[in-house]
Amino acid sequence: MTHAHTVYKIPHGKLVKITLEYDPQTNLIQKVNITGDFFIHPEDGLELLETSIQDTFFSHDVIIKRLDETVTAHHLTLIGVTTEGLTEGILRCRA
Amino acid sequence: MTELWRFLQTGYQDAFTNMAIDRAILEAHREGLVPPTLRVYGWAPPAISIGYFQGMNEEVDVQACHKQGVDCVRRITGGGAVFHDKELTYSLVVSESHPMISHNILESYARICGALVRGLDGLGIQSSFTPINDIVVGSQKISGNAQTRKQGVVLQHGTILLDVDVEMMFTLLQVPNEKIKDKLISDVRQRVTSCSRVLGRPVSFDDVSRNIRHGFEQTFAVQLREGTLNAKERDWTDKYRREIFNQHAWNYKR
Repeated sequence: MTHAHTVYKIPHGKLVKITLEYDPQTNLIQKVNITGDFFIHPEDGLELLETSIQDTFFSHDVIIKRLDETVTAHHLTLIGVTTEGLTEGILRCRA
Repeated sequence: MTELWRFLQTGYQDAFTNMAIDRAILEAHREGLVPPTLRVYGWAPPAISIGYFQGMNEEVDVQACHKQGVDCVRRITGGGAVFHDKELTYSLVVSESHPMISHNILESYARICGALVRGLDGLGIQSSFTPINDIVVGSQKISGNAQTRKQGVVLQHGTILLDVDVEMMFTLLQVPNEKIKDKLISDVRQRVTSCSRVLGRPVSFDDVSRNIRHGFEQTFAVQLREGTLNAKERDWTDKYRREIFNQHAWNYKR
């Protein structure tokens, strides 16, 4: 299991700090923790977003699809952060 | 007939009580026990509040805070870490369905911050709202704001800087690299201002409070009548202080 951390300034948005655990053998994300000075309404939406990408592959298309589905399903409003920005931050953890 | 809202001056409290009072007012308004409420308050001892989505140890030098007697608390609102010292803090609690509150969160920031801009104007400070959540004088920030919505009720709170001690702020916040600390301090000094700095004279809490109150009355076309926390709000304040805001599990959740 590999632990990774990245700090990413979302273009025109806020700063996100991402810590994750992943399995380099299988390319699967095990656990994600996202922090930052952004806004998500309602606030428990962040946990839903984090959970939605557990056990997914390190793939841009897969991650953003999961995040977008979660935003839609739970009517989340993201301010200062975007699913594209979160996806980019997560992918940078693998570098 | 002008709508009556409540105006609360709760004085200076510790960080855990301050956050508990805001939460209690939100709950009381949700239950229909109190009218929309504008509260103004200060912090004693000084404190750092972090945004709901931030990590305490990532943002704050907790040991330095303990040494300086500075409280550390996590808010129920998002946004960034704030050093609360020489400032006026306000909170507005109002129903999401109030005709003056937009369903669109960014629009409601603009409306509520517009009341603050009007209040600052009364003090002789020309400022403007800059999305997402700041008020600036020129390009320098004088006020930061954060909003949450829970069960149909909007809570927005924020600060208006009376004066600012950037060096102390950087003693208490985590700095990614000590080598660039001086540069960060100089950058922040250029990006942040205060009522005292803009006007070139000391500005009191009461001066700002009076003008902000007027700014809200004009912007929302309401009358703000002086009030106090009711018994239920005081009970909830004690409960939220004890069970949430003074709990390690809450403050270090992330």
